[in-house]
Amino acid sequence: MTYEEFADARLGALLRYAVMLTGDPHQAQDLVQETMVRVQLNWRRVARSDVPERYVRRMLTNQYVDWRRGSWARRVLLRGEPDEVPAPTDHAQSAVDRDELWSWLSRLPRRQRAALVLRYYEDLPDAEIAEILGCAVGTVRSCISRALATLRAEYMEVC
Amino acid sequence: MIENDLRAAFARLEALTPPTGPVRAAIERAAVRRRRRRFRLRVGGTALVLVAAATAGFTAFVPHQPAPATLLDEPAPPTPTGALNVLLLGVDSMSTQRPPLADSVLLVHLPADRSRPYLVSLPRDLEVAIPGLHRDKLNAAFAYGAGYDPPDQSKGYDLTRRAVVDLTGVPVDAGAVLTYPVLRKVTDALGGVEVCLPQPIRSSHTRRAYPAGCQRLDGAASVDLLRQRRGLPDGGLDRDRNAQRFAAGLVRRARAQDVLRDPVQLSRIVAAVGPDLTVAGRSVLDLLRVVPELTSVEPVGLSLPVELTGGSNGRLRADPKAAPAFLAALREDRLAEWAAAHPDRVTPIR
Repeated sequence: MTYEEFADARLGALLRYAVMLTGDPHQAQDLVQETMVRVQLNWRRVARSDVPERYVRRMLTNQYVDWRRGSWARRVLLRGEPDEVPAPTDHAQSAVDRDELWSWLSRLPRRQRAALVLRYYEDLPDAEIAEILGCAVGTVRSCISRALATLRAEYMEVC
Repeated sequence: MIENDLRAAFARLEALTPPTGPVRAAIERAAVRRRRRRFRLRVGGTALVLVAAATAGFTAFVPHQPAPATLLDEPAPPTPTGALNVLLLGVDSMSTQRPPLADSVLLVHLPADRSRPYLVSLPRDLEVAIPGLHRDKLNAAFAYGAGYDPPDQSKGYDLTRRAVVDLTGVPVDAGAVLTYPVLRKVTDALGGVEVCLPQPIRSSHTRRAYPAGCQRLDGAASVDLLRQRRGLPDGGLDRDRNAQRFAAGLVRRARAQDVLRDPVQLSRIVAAVGPDLTVAGRSVLDLLRVVPELTSVEPVGLSLPVELTGGSNGRLRADPKAAPAFLAALREDRLAEWAAAHPDRVTPIR
């Protein structure tokens, strides 16, 4: 498979996955762009893996989990402009904003959130989730059950 | 059921997915930019050739034959005389998401009598005046200089160099920026490096464990070891000592394999690291000419004496009692004397 074929076939799915992770179309685009540039520059290595898509998804997930987890220096000093996403204007965005569950979801640790997306959006089996997150199957399960417990406690209270 | 609510929330979110066309185009543009940058670095890197092992490797030239530079027909510039200081910066990842920090700052001091190299670690948590800015940790100087969009290694190097010159008062004659991939490739090209640890270390990044004593590490293991700071008794300071141990092992290995006099091996290493290494100051060949003059290549590991400031973030400051004498010894090229008087401050290397 060439890089072009891969991008033609999988870019849409990766973008959707990134939207689920970040909850924001612009951040999702940045995330996918950064990952795909690296995919393109290192295509031979990616193509050598058994399942290129899973490899790329793993790259993207790592990128997301590590993203701007930055230290004090990066956050405080080295940004020109504020980090806030501008106030939502379009309907889809405000619909999401009304979504209580969504706001709780965005407060979860990123790995937990990635695990939830992989199971409840991508419907992947735990073994595959484990491979993408780079951890053991048991860790995936405990990760998800912790995330669900948090959501249940917070979300149910509100409802 | 929360699971169903989750599925529904995700399904609603799908509407936000951006169209693929513009994203695809943006990826292409970014990839082209990055390829050009890589190419530029490669061209620069090969020119500097560098026995990348400038790392420490340049001390591995066996006092024996004339260095390759002298074989050139053109009139050779005079071999540098007097004490030389080479600044090596180990930086963490070069990503466009965040500026890199120089977590290892190592000043290699070659005394005027060319007795042996001295490795002087400057702790990354040391509070220094960043030229043109405020006081901050030493490792942040690289970040302020380099920025992150994309990071510019030479600017990061330059700001760190100025901070180090202000701090130590010694001129820096040359320097290099080392990233983890460079170290990994050099190590692998040498077939592994022997590192001798005084205490066992368990990696907090991988599942590796390093027993006390000497062991041969490949590139990936070396890089992992050089990252370890948590769980060590002295944290970052112990990591600096491990970097010195690694540098000593690298030199021994390069010397044992006679790498620097073997053009085939040398070109293999240069090919491996050339594109990723940034070098500044005096040319590497120029520096290499010093190496045959060294009596011994076994380095002495030292650190700037420091103490906690008691402030936030574990910042350190130069120890008001011990540091002035140390820095004076460095400036006046009397480190041998100083090390003899303070054996407890010399890093046990093997």
